[in-house]
Amino acid sequence: MSDVTATIGGQRAEAASDWTASWREGDAGLVRLANRHRSELALVEGSGSDWIVTLRGRRIHVTVQTWRERVLAEAESAVGERSGPVDVRATLPGLVVAVAVAEGDEVEEGATLLTIEAMKMQNEVRSPRAGRIATITAEVGRPVAAGAELLRIE
Amino acid sequence: MATSRSDASSLRKDRPFGRVLIANRGEIAVRIIRTCREMGIESVAVFSDADADALHVRMADRAERIGPAPAGDSYLESDAVVEAARRSGAEAIHPGYGFLSENAGFARAVLDAGIVFVGPPPETLEALGDKLAARRSAKEAGVPIVPGLLVPLQSGSGAAAMADREGVTFPAMLKAAAGGGGRGMRRVERPDQLEVAAASAAREALAAFGDGTLYLEELVDPARHIEVQLLGDRHGHLAVLGERECSVQRRHQKLVEETPSPAVTPTIRERLFEGARRVAGTVDFHNAATVEFLLDADGNHYFLEMNTRLQVEHGVTELVTGLDLVAWQLRIAAGEQLSERVLAATPRGHAIEARVYAEDPYRGFAPVSGRIGAWTMPDGPGVRVDAGIAGGTPLPVEYDPLLAKLMVHADDRPAAVARLRRALEETAIGGLDTDLGFLRWLVDQESFASGGYDTGLIPREWGTGPELDAQARSLAAFVALEARAREGAARATVGAASLRTEGSAWGALARREAVDRPRSR
Repeated sequence: MSDVTATIGGQRAEAASDWTASWREGDAGLVRLANRHRSELALVEGSGSDWIVTLRGRRIHVTVQTWRERVLAEAESAVGERSGPVDVRATLPGLVVAVAVAEGDEVEEGATLLTIEAMKMQNEVRSPRAGRIATITAEVGRPVAAGAELLRIE
Repeated sequence: MATSRSDASSLRKDRPFGRVLIANRGEIAVRIIRTCREMGIESVAVFSDADADALHVRMADRAERIGPAPAGDSYLESDAVVEAARRSGAEAIHPGYGFLSENAGFARAVLDAGIVFVGPPPETLEALGDKLAARRSAKEAGVPIVPGLLVPLQSGSGAAAMADREGVTFPAMLKAAAGGGGRGMRRVERPDQLEVAAASAAREALAAFGDGTLYLEELVDPARHIEVQLLGDRHGHLAVLGERECSVQRRHQKLVEETPSPAVTPTIRERLFEGARRVAGTVDFHNAATVEFLLDADGNHYFLEMNTRLQVEHGVTELVTGLDLVAWQLRIAAGEQLSERVLAATPRGHAIEARVYAEDPYRGFAPVSGRIGAWTMPDGPGVRVDAGIAGGTPLPVEYDPLLAKLMVHADDRPAAVARLRRALEETAIGGLDTDLGFLRWLVDQESFASGGYDTGLIPREWGTGPELDAQARSLAAFVALEARAREGAARATVGAASLRTEGSAWGALARREAVDRPRSR
């Protein structure tokens, strides 16, 4: 699925298209790679989104994420600062379908703030830290662009 | 099976000993056990608590526990090793390299217990253990030494004045008199940096060897590190078995060795061999030994040190000479004479060794720990692998992270380099970082392919390694994406199978696989 992407060193990595991979059960992740001219041995270890590919003697960390995992990871990394005002932004374009808080509310870290529907999936946006909701920019029923400010926590 | 083998071996009248204890671990213990087996000698392994299930223990005929995991309480515990030899009825102790192999006190304790020490007399170990004394005796024997001090460097503020008085020019190298393995070594650019560098080198030497005595040598740069392999018996015979080039180094420690050296011409070789014979003549030794030299850009050689033990890199000499150096160590220890075949040995072809370490070459070759996952070693014509560990086993953090030595032998150097490249391509180790990425890079470097490299190759050309190239990047992404897709497909299949075949053996297997498969959430 084009929905799944690979990331190496924080950069999106496009998959080589002209190679085939053949696996054998019980080989502890050994894989034979081949194109029309060359075949080589590689090794892959991991599960879920974290993989280590050993290629030409070099261990390469590859993050493989579905669209949903990517969104969650970006939301997490967007948290950054743990004090001071935090702008909560949309990590993907979508439609705001629910706002669960009001200005002045005290929220815990991880509390659901609002829900954005994108690619037919409902994605809850959670609070990056405990604090008070200062301003809410998002409105139910309005589309938001990726990176748009949704609300601010103090 | 075991009985018939023992019966067969007891028929061998020519074996030097009936039972030998190997006071070491890892690949070198395995290497020595193999020769013992071929000679019909019963092998006794020793092990610490960290090694109870190690490969060398499983391969030996018997095994003796010598203490807890830290080397200082086990493999370096002289009394425990001698006691294990006594307990097991071993007639001789082979110390391998490292650990107690050059410890005069250990050699003496072994002899006092009435056991043969496969090595030189304790007095020789004492004499050669003092690198500064060895410099003096080499000089007296007419062998060139690296210009520098012949007496210990003064500590504190007197150091720079002493260097000046003795006419030592900078940059210079600080070295530990009791040294080895690169510890206590420091490059010093200017006289005003000497005092601080000496203080830190002395601390390191004191911690490593219990002796902080230092000396100073002028820097030979560029330099190649070349050593001459010797075998000497108790009857005054000396065999010179060619040289080894050991210039691919990090932290002053060797990673790749080859023989013959691409830098050594017949004229230089004759001089190196003559120098090695002269140094060997200054001590009483009966064992395998190595005389190490630096070779400068003009082909001048300078004595560095002599080691009267088996070297890590002895295998390349075995490949080109066809001799088993461990077998000869044992025969010499039993009092046999070197044969004509050994004394007249003529090297054939070219051999290279690549050491596979558990370390990360992209982070300064920092040692790593972990559990070995996949383990695929090369094979085929002209390939030898000396390994001390197997796949699916933990790497003990207490010891040297050397995993395996890949050695190749071919008719000439270009063929040997091609064979090493092929062997490295067949090698795969999972679970932890190794230097295989560096080794694969090395065989494609012009400086290595041409043979025109020196000890500065790694800092100058590797650094922390090249960036990941675009092709490797896209291939890694491809493999990881395939792996994840395959994981998902396996789960879907397992789920469907267990629903359909509830109660059947296949269903049970599928469920077990689903449970066993590691998942990260």
